[in-house]
Amino acid sequence: MKKFVIPALLISMFLLSCAAFAGTVQLPVYNGPAVTLTFWSWVPGLDHAIALFEKAYPKIKINWTNVGTGQAEYNKLLTALTAGSGAPDVVQIEYQMLPTFISYGGLVDLSKYGANNYKSLFVPWTWKQVSQGNAVYAIPQDTGPYSFAYNKAIFDKYGLTVPKTWDEYAADAQKLYEASNGKVVLGNFDAGGTGNISWLIGLVWAAGGHWWELQGNTWVQTINSPTTLKVVNFWGDLVSKGYISTYTPWTTDWYNAMSEGKVASIMSPAWMPALLAQNLSSSNAGNWRIAPLPQWPGMPFTSGNWGGSTDAVTIQSKYPEAAFIFALWLNTNEEACVLDNQYGGLFPASYAGLEAPALHDTSTAIDQFFGGQDVNQFSFDASKAVNTDFAWAPWLNYVYTESSKDINDAISGKISWTQAFDQLQNASLNYAKSQGFNVK
Amino acid sequence: MRTKFRSGKYMPFVFLSPFLVLFALFYVAPLIYGFYISLFHKYGLRPPTFVGLENYVKAFTDSGFLSSILTMGEFFLIQGSIMIGLALLFALYIDNEQNHFRGFFKLVYYIPFAIPTVISGILWGFMYSKSLSPFQSIFGVFGLHPNFLSSGSLFWSIMNIVTWEWVGYNMIILYSGLQSIPRELYESAKIDGARNFDVIRYIKLPLIVPSLILAIVFTVIGTFQIFNEPYVLQSMTYVSTHFTPNLYIYTTAFSYGNFNFAAAMAIVLALVTFAISMIFMRFAGFKEE
Amino acid sequence: MDTKKSLYSPSTLIIMTLMFVASAYFLLPFFWIIVASTKSDSQLFSTNPLWFTSPFNFLSNLKVVSSYDNAILWRWFLNSLIYAGSVSAGTTLISAMAGFAFSKYDFKLKNVLFYIILGTIMVPTTALVLPIYLLMHGLNLINTYWAVILPSLVNPFTVYLMRIFWMKEFPNELIDAAHVDGASDFAIFFRIGLPLVRGGLATVALFSFVNTWNNFFLPLVVISKSNLYPLTLGLQVWTSITTTSVGRGAPPYGAINMGILISIVPLILAFIFLRRYWQSGLSSGAIKG
Repeated sequence: MKKFVIPALLISMFLLSCAAFAGTVQLPVYNGPAVTLTFWSWVPGLDHAIALFEKAYPKIKINWTNVGTGQAEYNKLLTALTAGSGAPDVVQIEYQMLPTFISYGGLVDLSKYGANNYKSLFVPWTWKQVSQGNAVYAIPQDTGPYSFAYNKAIFDKYGLTVPKTWDEYAADAQKLYEASNGKVVLGNFDAGGTGNISWLIGLVWAAGGHWWELQGNTWVQTINSPTTLKVVNFWGDLVSKGYISTYTPWTTDWYNAMSEGKVASIMSPAWMPALLAQNLSSSNAGNWRIAPLPQWPGMPFTSGNWGGSTDAVTIQSKYPEAAFIFALWLNTNEEACVLDNQYGGLFPASYAGLEAPALHDTSTAIDQFFGGQDVNQFSFDASKAVNTDFAWAPWLNYVYTESSKDINDAISGKISWTQAFDQLQNASLNYAKSQGFNVK
Repeated sequence: MRTKFRSGKYMPFVFLSPFLVLFALFYVAPLIYGFYISLFHKYGLRPPTFVGLENYVKAFTDSGFLSSILTMGEFFLIQGSIMIGLALLFALYIDNEQNHFRGFFKLVYYIPFAIPTVISGILWGFMYSKSLSPFQSIFGVFGLHPNFLSSGSLFWSIMNIVTWEWVGYNMIILYSGLQSIPRELYESAKIDGARNFDVIRYIKLPLIVPSLILAIVFTVIGTFQIFNEPYVLQSMTYVSTHFTPNLYIYTTAFSYGNFNFAAAMAIVLALVTFAISMIFMRFAGFKEE
Repeated sequence: MDTKKSLYSPSTLIIMTLMFVASAYFLLPFFWIIVASTKSDSQLFSTNPLWFTSPFNFLSNLKVVSSYDNAILWRWFLNSLIYAGSVSAGTTLISAMAGFAFSKYDFKLKNVLFYIILGTIMVPTTALVLPIYLLMHGLNLINTYWAVILPSLVNPFTVYLMRIFWMKEFPNELIDAAHVDGASDFAIFFRIGLPLVRGGLATVALFSFVNTWNNFFLPLVVISKSNLYPLTLGLQVWTSITTTSVGRGAPPYGAINMGILISIVPLILAFIFLRRYWQSGLSSGAIKG
């Protein structure tokens, strides 16, 4: 805890000087006592990377538990923080939930352990996501920058061109719907169901929009901004015309629709290709392709992000320094990133992982599913183009649960899409105020 | 006439003590503590501020909470009537010794009660999902392709699960009531020329009112505490957190971290349940012993 | 005694047919899960949900469930047995003692105390669980078997049941006779009393076993280590991972379906072979004490 800052600084200066040669970067040494850290994460197969870590840092043992995915884990974390004990040292948290736990007072500011010195190891938008000003509350782990995945067999059959802009996407949607008599649609509106609004938020993000901004101590919420309304009305229009289906994502029906060729494409975060290759029937193999995300006019190539997570250190940790080292190593060690990609499907946030040759090996089943394309390269390029200005609010959970109702009402035509997002803006604003947040 | 123990004032408490200690620890203390924290407002790890009954005022004006109570009220009126009605018909059937296969029906109708409600939720959830559902082919014959998990049909789909789970239980309560009616009453009624229907109308129904009230009160308590089925279905479709009070309280506490407000709502829910149960008991002039 | 008329009059036939239709409804989910447990994941989505198909994959599903995540499902099975078994034993003794005190002694505030205990049946579990969580933390029992077992030992309903059994099955006159013989209160309870109410003990033991086996909410909150999950929680977690998965390594449907089957088979067996006790518990509850 005390002696760490200086070596970390020295090493990171060295690091900065050779960041360009990432892959064999040297991370901090650990001089503290032998400790065992508890670690909550739902990434499958983490034990492989952890074994490597324990070899590299023999004095730090990791006790890894999967206490549930996403919300299930957050519920437990929130409870443990409230109770004053029971939280792990290191915890996996998705980007969107960080502000919730930061404002709850549950996370350690890692800048005091020199975290900022490792900033350049990560794709810029990810670092922005884990920081507030100079404070750093987590180490970016994996990401989900958007590309566009499509079933080439269907595109060829109906003579569709791969859309480069959203106008072209809408034109394709109409053309496909009409040519197939509505039997095949271009895409699915993936924001149905609980909490799936992240899909839509990612697309607003890619349009250069954002919903929250922290200005000093004040949060500014703009859920019904013109950019958002442009994006949601674009989708709402396609949905109401039936050009786009509305299956609840992750259901078997949703997979089957793609498997059986009823849905021809999908907005594809970096982790999606693996899921498609794994879950669509084998007759799809080789038929799919990946392409950059369609674009809005008048701006440089921009993408958004859906999903991904970070590793944070909780205030209940007795060994925050060791915990920080673990979180940093896990996400910047090339071998660890490759193992987590292979066993856990993580698409890394650090250059060390992104540039690892193993991630660009096109002989894998996933790349073969996409006709031998270097799928990860598309996601890498998308990640570099993700807008850095997007931030999340501490009352996000409320917005997620509220939005489900509004979006379902909009899908069923009860209210307009603009109304839905006006409602969401107002309800969330009221809720945030009632929770004592300084918000406008 | 009754002779009870007269020995020692402390003896009853010796027998009661294991229960009372645990009861104090795991019922009374949590309730008192729950009431205590419901008087505060707190966010995150900042120190709490005393707000008196503000959380209770908020509970009565919180649209999510109110809508969850109203939803369950509606659920109780519709599902409760159907379920207890069916349970009564089934109970009358298996109580009548002239009917066939009584043992079989009694067993088969009652069996779902043995299944954990979480598991019933998963099972029915799978059977509702389009690609696994046996109903799609059944309904398909009539050209229907219902979506049991759409937001419009979910209310009814969950009713079906709850009915499936609890009809047999209520049937047994009512059946036990019927069984305790002295058989001689039927004999003398028959001598007076009463038909089966008259026996039901004038003897059986009036005499099982206490069992009926018991079934209704259990249904009230059970309905307002529904949690597992919608919770499980949340991973398969969109289920509003306003669907049941317990789901809303759970979300408020464990997802939003607002334990104080959740505690207030839990107490209000207990009072609402208690009040409705009392109304039914009073209504029937039902007294235990 | 009037003799049976023609076996099936038209109205009997109609009613009986309806009863069989209802049976099909109650048995459908069981049939569905049995069929599903014989199918691989791809068969599950591509073949008739209500009939078997070849190849028959029952054994391979059993193999999958016995190897997935180091056969953790069997660990959950064992956990459920431990939770349910120990709660059942403990609750039965504790409730028998408390019921004994309430039925065989007179003491101050007896009725007030009894109705307070009975009234807590209406307290929603959400109101208790968070304070219990905090309490368990204080006792350092989170993520231990105790966190589930201790709170489950307190069950107002089984105390109520045991009180009725004591009143019905243990004549007060025996007390005087035993006292004349110089027996202590404990001797009366253990040596004369318990054998007389063994039917009640079996009922209460069965009820609390099933209640605990089926419990979900308490473990959901107090257990976060997967190797301490009971089956209900484990299967719910598996389902939610599989149906909402955004990562690789999710459990296959085959494993979930087989897990569901494994979780309900013991209950169904217990239900069929011990159905006498299931019913007697409820009937005692329904009849005035």
